[in-house]
Amino acid sequence: MAPEPKLSHTAAMILQAIDAGLIYGFGIMEMTGLPSGTVYPAMRRLERDKLICSRWERQSVADAEQRPPRKYYKLTAGGTAALRASRNRYPLLERMIPAEVKQS
Amino acid sequence: MTPRSKSVFHALDRGLLCCASLLVPEMQRAEWRLEWESELWHARRSNGSSGEVSWRTEREIADFCFGAFQDAACLRCLCWRNRRRFALLHGSAAQCLFWLTGLLLVSYLFSILLPGVRAELDFSSAQMRPGSILILERGANGSVPTMAIDQVRIWERGRRRYFDGFAFYRVAAESVGFGAHAAGTWRIAEASSNLFAVAGWSQHYLAADQEPRREMQRLVLSELMWRNKFGANPDIVGTVLLVGSQPARVVGIAPGDAWRLPGNSDAWLLTPDSEISSSGRGYVVAHLTRRGRAEMWGGLVDIAFYDARRSEHDFLGKAFQEQTPGPANIYWFGVLLALLALPAIASVSLAEYSFSSHKPSRTLRAVRLGFLGLKVLLIMSIAWFSSVDLAYWHSPVSSPSGAYIQLVTCFAVFLFGMRWTLLDQRQRCPVCLRRVTNPAQVGLASRTFLAWNGTELICASGHTLLHIPGLPTSWFSTQRWLYLDTSWDFLFAGSGVK
Repeated sequence: MAPEPKLSHTAAMILQAIDAGLIYGFGIMEMTGLPSGTVYPAMRRLERDKLICSRWERQSVADAEQRPPRKYYKLTAGGTAALRASRNRYPLLERMIPAEVKQS
Repeated sequence: MTPRSKSVFHALDRGLLCCASLLVPEMQRAEWRLEWESELWHARRSNGSSGEVSWRTEREIADFCFGAFQDAACLRCLCWRNRRRFALLHGSAAQCLFWLTGLLLVSYLFSILLPGVRAELDFSSAQMRPGSILILERGANGSVPTMAIDQVRIWERGRRRYFDGFAFYRVAAESVGFGAHAAGTWRIAEASSNLFAVAGWSQHYLAADQEPRREMQRLVLSELMWRNKFGANPDIVGTVLLVGSQPARVVGIAPGDAWRLPGNSDAWLLTPDSEISSSGRGYVVAHLTRRGRAEMWGGLVDIAFYDARRSEHDFLGKAFQEQTPGPANIYWFGVLLALLALPAIASVSLAEYSFSSHKPSRTLRAVRLGFLGLKVLLIMSIAWFSSVDLAYWHSPVSSPSGAYIQLVTCFAVFLFGMRWTLLDQRQRCPVCLRRVTNPAQVGLASRTFLAWNGTELICASGHTLLHIPGLPTSWFSTQRWLYLDTSWDFLFAGSGVK
């Protein structure tokens, strides 16, 4: 059985935020209070480690709302497992970012 | 804040993102830019939803954009780590040469940019006049003046096949006054007006319009006195000082190398030879013709003089070039000392012993030796530039302290550089020149006489295994290479390096 990855607190917060429905960088920044210079590089590493994956919003959806398309992130199966392990390691994680938070 | 300023800020933020995008690998740049532009749009809308724009809001948005630089740098790092060619470079000969060349370039740049170093190198390469000598009575050590001006006058009147210039100076303590203030008692050298021309030293800050004036005696300050008493102020040239009871105009600053003239003068009072009194002894500086230079041997030349009674007087000429070791001479001396000291701190053997009779091809051995030679050359160059940088960046040109600092620096850099070079060379695979890695301790020190004990390192490309004995013994005193055959290939099958 492969050992569970041990995430830093920042990475765990980002995973928790994505799991809570904050699926793009700026939303994660606002919820966690972390600066952009921390959030985006951390997301690159999480994506490299295949804990999250990204997809671009369809242009037609963005056009309909008269805004540029966004890049959305979601947890992979590995990311979900890592988050579960991180919640045991960081018990306050769920209190800091409640699961019911959804993107505005 | 006006809407116009809002658009200016927006342009600035986009400019920041544009700059940051240059750090992103080209393949990912367009998508990265699109994501950050989109995020910026949302950040701006979120912060400016009230329609009002404030400095605070703009600062927050600018902070957000500055984070793009960290993101871009992160992507660049990830890209580097992923590249196989960088993995291949790790521990390779090319990486070693790259770092050494980088160090060399940095030290070279410092030597170009630091004005003191530039002045020293310019001085030592341009100002030395070959054939300038100091004439002493045979047996005199140079610290005591032994020559008389009358001797110089006789030489100047005679046939001069071997010399084309003589200058005399005599040092005495004189009180010096500057304006209404007494500057103290200096060691003033009453010198022939052509002293600096004969010695081949140009004066600094020489004012052209000062030279023809003959109504007042001319004074050349030593560089040390100029720095200590006048704060290295070039405006001192042209002012009048009171030397003894006579006014003298400062016409220049002697070069730093002039301290090597015996007598330890603080200033030189330039006087025509005919006006120098015959009493007292001094020093004679002369310049040899080409024929005279041909008579020199090891920086020395014998001079014999017959007076009217046909009795012989022997003199000795010492070349200034020999007396004044420039940076190059000091450097070579330091290198020689370091080479002599090297065996004391490192084994000079390359330890290329092998367990088997297998020997690398001649080409491989030549490449290995060439690599070693290149490293030594680079270390020598680094020692040269770093020593002159450290020695002369703040020391006066050709000062004794600068020479000592250069000698010590050059010695230390070359000695420890060579030690590193040899140790590095011993741990490079003879086949691919990559450093061997993954050290493993084998055996126990307490069982040295029963079984092998030491460290084993392996070439990441799978060519060789290096055995270094933990305790050198008569049967295993130095490291040995084991050339790996094809039976080892399975170990490296997945590495993707081989």
